[in-house]
Amino acid sequence: MNMMSRFLMALLFLLLSTAVWSQHEHGQAHEHEHEHEHEQSVSENTADAASVTPATGRLTTTPEIEAALANGGTAVVADVLGVVCDFCAVAMNKIFGKQEEVAAVYVDLDTKALNLVFKPGASLDDEAIAALAVQAGYRISAVHRNAAVLGS
Amino acid sequence: MRIIAGLLLLLISAAGSARPVSYVGGWTLIEESNRQSTAALIHYTPSPSWSLGLRSEWVRDEDYAITSLQPTYLLKRWFGQDYQANIYLQGGIGLASGTSGNPLSSTTAAYAGVIADWETRRFFLGYNARYVDAGHFGDNAMQLVRVGWAPYEGDTQDLHTWLMLEVDHRPESKDPVSVTPLLRFFRGPALLEVGFNIVDPTPLLNFTYRF
Repeated sequence: MNMMSRFLMALLFLLLSTAVWSQHEHGQAHEHEHEHEHEQSVSENTADAASVTPATGRLTTTPEIEAALANGGTAVVADVLGVVCDFCAVAMNKIFGKQEEVAAVYVDLDTKALNLVFKPGASLDDEAIAALAVQAGYRISAVHRNAAVLGS
Repeated sequence: MRIIAGLLLLLISAAGSARPVSYVGGWTLIEESNRQSTAALIHYTPSPSWSLGLRSEWVRDEDYAITSLQPTYLLKRWFGQDYQANIYLQGGIGLASGTSGNPLSSTTAAYAGVIADWETRRFFLGYNARYVDAGHFGDNAMQLVRVGWAPYEGDTQDLHTWLMLEVDHRPESKDPVSVTPLLRFFRGPALLEVGFNIVDPTPLLNFTYRF
């Protein structure tokens, strides 16, 4: 097989792949329903937390989060820097899911937010949330609590 | 025999080349197979800034394998609302042994490298360089650049799909520069990369699993 044939095969491979996967309709496979609009970040790429525009600050609900809220838990939404893939979400879920105070956790890549519901009577302060995010490999830029989180 | 050994390596391992340092307390299984070698790695992350792994790499055409301890240090991570960028330093020291009847005796082997990446949810740019000294089995160097594009932005737990192109440079190879188009599939803790080198016709298969 000469170089030109190989190049053409590779090109065909990429084009076919693009065609197949562009058929994927984003959002159809979601098992959860966001209660917020999927607003993309309004700021340009930034290098530090100080210049970051906060995300929605609204809670993304999942069945686990709704159940934890129904149980009397309190919600927190933290804006996270650097979450660009599912490995990031897995890391945050693992770290926060191990905490005694946490009843439910969900990382939303669209809003770049860590959604937490604490057990009734329990909580983590902003510093503790930031320290746990560091253990997961990420940074918190803002923490939103209670009424603001639930949009009331 | 080589094919069977390669398949065994694939089966006992599991997973790709993204994020060589995980979350604190996290384990990662990685399998990598390219035109030169097939490798299996398991690593543990005790701190946000470094991981320690056990790596077994079979250099197929040279008929030797290296089993090594591999520390990886996160030198710098940049965070943004829409991106992340990293520079890692990686090294390893272990034992090189002959395979497929290679009569050379086992000897100490060591390697060092650097990994850099910049990633958003739609674009990826990565660089990797490594030098390996395997004693009388020889030494080799490589560097590669990878660019990627995601045709859609997957949310948490969606199937994430990337189209990528990898250009590698291996000065000792009969084809010093080669090109590999590949597909990356990513969901939750699992990542799979499938590609084919169009210059040195060889499949690429990488798999990563985090737990």
